[in-house]
Amino acid sequence: MVEHGEIRVVHRGGSKLNFRQPIFTHDSRFLLCASGDGVKVFSASTEECVHHLLAHTGLVTGLSLRPSNQLQVFSCSLDGTVRLWDYTDGILIKTFSIGCPIYAVYSSGSHDGVLFLTVPAKDDKKSDTFRLVAVQLPQSPEQFVEAREFSAVLEDVSSNPAAVSFGRGGHFIASVNNLQLEVFFFKKQKSYRFYLPEDNKHGQKNTFTCTTCHPKEDCIATGHEDGKIRLWRNFNHKKEYTYSTHHWHHTAVGALSFTPEGTNFLSGGGESVLVQWRYNQETQKDFLPRLGAAISHISVSPDGCLFCTSHSDNKIIVIHSYIKISAVIQGLVQGDRIKTDLIVDPLSKALVMNGKPGHLQFYSLQRDKLLYNLDIVQQEYIHESGLNQFDVVKADFDTGGKWLATVEERKQNSAELELNLKLWAFDEQTQSFVLNTTVSAPHEDRVTDLSFSPDQTTLLVSTGNDGLFKAWTLTAPTAEDESASWSCDFVGSYHGLAPQCCSFSADGSLLAVAFREVVTVWSTVTWDLLTTLSQPPGDIRNLCFGRQSCSKYLLGTTDKNQLCCWNLLTCSLEWSTSMDVSLLLSDPLSENMAAFCSEAGCTDLFVFRPSEPRPLFSHKAVCPGRVLRAVFTPREEPLEGSEEQLQWINRSQLHFFSPNMELLTFSTKAEEDRLTASSKQLVIDDHVAMTPFYLLLGKRPQTDAREVAAVTDRVQPPQGSSAIRELLQTPAHVLPSTSQLCSMFVQSLLVSTADKREPTNVTEEEMESEKEEEDSEEEETSRVTAIKNQDQTRDPKDPGLTKAQTRELRQLRKLDYSWVGALVEF
Amino acid sequence: MASDGGSSTLQLPCVFSPKSRQYLALCAQDGRLRVWNTDNKTLQQEYVPSAHLSATCTCISWGPCRTAKEGPQRKKRKSEAVQVEERADLLAMGTAAGTVLIYSTVKGALHCTLDGGHTAGVNCVQWHPEDSLLYSGSDDTKITEWDLQTGQTRSAWKADRAAITSLCVSPNGKLLLSAGYVIKMWDLETKEIYRKFTGHSTAVTTLCFATTRPPDGNGLYFLSGAAHDRLLSVWQVRDDGKDKNSVVSFTLTDEPQHVSLIPSNSKEEAVRLAVVCKDGQLHLFEHFLNGPCKKPLSPSCTVQLSDTKDTPAPIPLLAAALGPESRGVTLAYGNHLQPVMERVELDTTERQICLPRDIHSSLSLSMETNVSKVKTPVVNAKSKVLVPGLPGHHAPKASSQVSEKRKKGTDIKEMSIAERLGEIDLDKASSETGVSKMAASLQTDNLAVLLVQGLESHDANILNNVFQTRKDMAIKKTVARIPLSTVLPLVQEITIRLQGHPVSARLMVPWLKAVLMHHTSYLASLPDLVTQLGVLYHMIENRVKLFHKLARLHGKLYLLTTQMAANPNSSPATDVDHTAKLVYEEESSDEEATDDEALPDAESDHWDEDEEEMEDEEAEENPDSRRASKTNGDEMERGNEISKGFTESSCTDSAQPPPRAEVAAGTGTRPGNGHSFTDFLLSQTRIMFRSV
Repeated sequence: MVEHGEIRVVHRGGSKLNFRQPIFTHDSRFLLCASGDGVKVFSASTEECVHHLLAHTGLVTGLSLRPSNQLQVFSCSLDGTVRLWDYTDGILIKTFSIGCPIYAVYSSGSHDGVLFLTVPAKDDKKSDTFRLVAVQLPQSPEQFVEAREFSAVLEDVSSNPAAVSFGRGGHFIASVNNLQLEVFFFKKQKSYRFYLPEDNKHGQKNTFTCTTCHPKEDCIATGHEDGKIRLWRNFNHKKEYTYSTHHWHHTAVGALSFTPEGTNFLSGGGESVLVQWRYNQETQKDFLPRLGAAISHISVSPDGCLFCTSHSDNKIIVIHSYIKISAVIQGLVQGDRIKTDLIVDPLSKALVMNGKPGHLQFYSLQRDKLLYNLDIVQQEYIHESGLNQFDVVKADFDTGGKWLATVEERKQNSAELELNLKLWAFDEQTQSFVLNTTVSAPHEDRVTDLSFSPDQTTLLVSTGNDGLFKAWTLTAPTAEDESASWSCDFVGSYHGLAPQCCSFSADGSLLAVAFREVVTVWSTVTWDLLTTLSQPPGDIRNLCFGRQSCSKYLLGTTDKNQLCCWNLLTCSLEWSTSMDVSLLLSDPLSENMAAFCSEAGCTDLFVFRPSEPRPLFSHKAVCPGRVLRAVFTPREEPLEGSEEQLQWINRSQLHFFSPNMELLTFSTKAEEDRLTASSKQLVIDDHVAMTPFYLLLGKRPQTDAREVAAVTDRVQPPQGSSAIRELLQTPAHVLPSTSQLCSMFVQSLLVSTADKREPTNVTEEEMESEKEEEDSEEEETSRVTAIKNQDQTRDPKDPGLTKAQTRELRQLRKLDYSWVGALVEF
Repeated sequence: MASDGGSSTLQLPCVFSPKSRQYLALCAQDGRLRVWNTDNKTLQQEYVPSAHLSATCTCISWGPCRTAKEGPQRKKRKSEAVQVEERADLLAMGTAAGTVLIYSTVKGALHCTLDGGHTAGVNCVQWHPEDSLLYSGSDDTKITEWDLQTGQTRSAWKADRAAITSLCVSPNGKLLLSAGYVIKMWDLETKEIYRKFTGHSTAVTTLCFATTRPPDGNGLYFLSGAAHDRLLSVWQVRDDGKDKNSVVSFTLTDEPQHVSLIPSNSKEEAVRLAVVCKDGQLHLFEHFLNGPCKKPLSPSCTVQLSDTKDTPAPIPLLAAALGPESRGVTLAYGNHLQPVMERVELDTTERQICLPRDIHSSLSLSMETNVSKVKTPVVNAKSKVLVPGLPGHHAPKASSQVSEKRKKGTDIKEMSIAERLGEIDLDKASSETGVSKMAASLQTDNLAVLLVQGLESHDANILNNVFQTRKDMAIKKTVARIPLSTVLPLVQEITIRLQGHPVSARLMVPWLKAVLMHHTSYLASLPDLVTQLGVLYHMIENRVKLFHKLARLHGKLYLLTTQMAANPNSSPATDVDHTAKLVYEEESSDEEATDDEALPDAESDHWDEDEEEMEDEEAEENPDSRRASKTNGDEMERGNEISKGFTESSCTDSAQPPPRAEVAAGTGTRPGNGHSFTDFLLSQTRIMFRSV
């Protein structure tokens, strides 16, 4: 780590957007969204990320706008801190250290200066019971504040933030947990508990899933596991509470939210249908179906014009209040698991992997943005658990990006397995993929590997658990009107063993297929078995040919912790070493190979050349757990790095997924510095007015400041003129007549202007003054930024007063001048 | 000379964002600004300026890229987030009314309006590369320098006698080029004229610095293009001031519309230039700038796009931007209202490139992607489907050699054969009446001859007729009589026919059987038996594979149907759950509305229940009573629901999916609803059997 200190593991995006409820800012223009260790500020209209607030060192678990200042937001995190941000400028204002992991944060307008936090019930931090505490935020000018004085509000709450909700005007708080609804009244300091029976007669679950309170009336809405929504009333009148039940959802209610006026409420769940209910007229419902994935959160903008739903496929949809989708913010879709390897589309340079069910997603690494999902299966996905539906399990591109091969699979209840191999051609004329050939049941069992030949011949090899590997080629059409299609060219097997992986040599002339512990090498021209290699014990897990100068080497890893390198010229083992390699891959642009090894619960990375005994680069403890997906992606522009240890990331970058699905990469300090330097240079753009309105009002202080500077610079001398002093200081009754005074006064002024410049040369003078102003302005901006960085609120009163005074003075003088001029004319 | 600026207003502004070319900003004829994403080729956003019809947008310029500003830098444990991406954000638009609008693409809103600087339409806007300054040139012959921090003019000066039609700021931000009557180079520090260049007779529409070198040392070059001029001129800024004429010129086919230039940083580096002309062609140039070059340079490569109709018509290119790699070019073509963006790798060794493109289908594809972010690839009838059993699904070893061996001899006696065929048919008809062995043997004899002839001549008619025979004896005898040399062709013919339609395949089975019975020894003696019979073997294997499962299914279904037939009294519909898996009933929930307004007696009932509940809750500390309360609660709930009427429970039933068991097609345990389903399955099975 010390010797390669320059290469670091950096986060490359793709974190979850749907972990917590996104919140709208007060003007409904931005969406704040917890995403991994940061908070992202999205524009609700353009879907773009405006700011990325980074300072937390743990997962961000909650967001809440500050009730007393709607331009600031609290964020809480598992790292035990609450941070206060100015989200319009993306500045961290304050950090409150709480001292234990926080799972949710709430605030209410009627409790100023108090934050409500969900923290573990005991201090051991491992318990799965939680309590809601109120924390008085200390008033302190310091940036880092310790706030450790809790007062418990509710015991035994759920860690899910949707399970706690503030009632009308913050008078009470409702919390649901399992089968219990607890309402706590702040005034009476008393809580009421209501229970539901565990199972009602239909055998459905009554468990609470979420709650929300009516903003204007005393009404609590709760969602349940069985899809019912209950509206509770009269819960403050001792025990005469009532509730009404509304049932539309057939799966658990995932999210509930009232509109700001309380006229409607919204609900959503696994059906991926947004339901808008009229409050007190619950039979009238509006629906927005086919939202693509289960709804996990719903939030409503303060003006009620926009709704937003976050979905299980890492997506946020912004919806107009007349139930129409206006924007979709789509992150990296993270299914349960990525079944396909990570692939790079040679044409668009996008990362390709499993996306929505039945789709392949194209993800731009440069922009951390989803480009699109390609619908491979083309069957409507039914949003219900327990159904077996087609999904893409393997995919590969050929080198030019002209062909895409996909394997989709549906596992039926029993042994019946449905498989389809589809070959898509990229049609340049329509700029889209076109299905060329569908092969149903290419193998009789699962397809274990799929690989295109790296040379220009169109050759695809698939291996299956049925003990066969098949070579597919593009064959010329048999009839005139047909186009070329794919067909099977060769079927190979080896002693009935099941092949697990295959690899083509760099020139495509050799194919290595691993059958259990035996590697067979075939000629792709004649389909002869050339040789077999084996290094027992242990089945082969990965196979990889060397590239470029190392193309005579074939590397394999076994599940008995062996990494072997065979020389194909001598057909013998060149070297082998003992390490538990979970993933081996080769860089298509160089000889380098990367091996991810599991070692004591962590993954280490080794980058090496097969021909050299010493690894080029090694990095201990890249991330906890096993890395199972990684890919080398070519860089748009190669880096210039001379150091040997950095050369391996000059032309391509290594991206990988950690076990908890974060997309990480390796980067150098220099590269980041270069990028941040360019960003610093252009940060001034932020000082441009936000809106035309800001232009009218917000720029005032700055221009004032400049005027002050200008005034103090140049206008001082005439003030000191003796004539004026005489005029102003002598008592009125001893002054001579105005006509005499006037000429004297005018003369004094004339002298001062003559001093400066000829009055005809106006433009030049302006430019001159501009220049001087520029200097002072620069000072001013630097001062402003310095102040901002210190996060001290500037005291506007003192300079403001003097500014106003001087300005008035100046205006007065101008007035005087013209008036006197008129007098002289007279 | 160019005070009317007629040519420049005709050109619609169309600019790629700098660096990564992620966006294309385009102001179309309708006065709206549209920003297109070149990555997924969709419309990113649309902005309608408040006076888009009166004060149309005349020019667009992207501001320098910036990164999303990060908060205070904090070290994180291990993985540090980097915001490496430089995003294009601000767009400056000059309007015909003399104002300049700054639009933020990230926020999707107008950033600010700069007005009061010009009294006539703005012709060009340019950003300062480093400071937050903006320069605009206008028809009122002035250049205005805007300070973006305040939104005010910082300075304005009359730059020319004619309208300012073009501006360009040097890469280091020290110099400004302006084009009016003459091209002037200004020192931005002093706002004084540094140089003057004359040469164009029409309005200069394009100005562009070609090198990033400082002006001293004769290294600074710039490029200019004018309306109605089919030349781009390169000017050198020389120390000695002898720079009155252009040093190099590039020839075009029409006036330049959009110029993309990669400046050279050193003498060893060539300037790369991509020019889209008014006629819709793209010209690529590559030239080392060192001193004058008398001959006008012609493009190294010309690109044109055409549609895919029978008589191809050209598609006009709108803009092109060179990428960091030498061959990658981002193109925008088609209509200004709906351009198509594409990144292509051009083979620059060829002088003329024509790319056929189908604009309409690609447009419709990209439009759909906009909201759903799902792209649907084209699936049409042309795509081939391979199912097990078809040729190409499972390859034999070296099957291709066989077909080559086949001779291609044609028989001349087609007529006579047809006649003989007719005779056979007659014979056949006559033999129907009186079955005689003699006739049969005659027939088989004839058949054998016919078969041999058919195989030699590849006459489908004869072979069809021969293979129509269904009598086992006839087939056996025919096969027994054919000469050994025709056995192999017969096997191949049978193989081909077996791969075809199941009906014809079924006819072939007795033939194959007969061949194998009679000629086993011959076949076994063949050296290349495996290759000869490989196809046949694989095909039969594939077809038989499902036999067991089908037989099992058939048995089950047979059992079911017989049971149903044996038990005619039991009506299948009584105890069957007919409810669908998913019911979206909007009307059905009417009954739920009555929840709150229950009948009065029911309401009183409800009240009592609540009373009990209340009492129970008071004694909550006692676990026993708690259990009681639970049961009570259960009763209460039940009571509630009963009081609400039965409607609700039925309603919930319908909303609740029944346990799913009988959906899967193969199990077939579903008795009700069944006749059509089982019939269908039976027929399916029959078809499958036939194919086997």
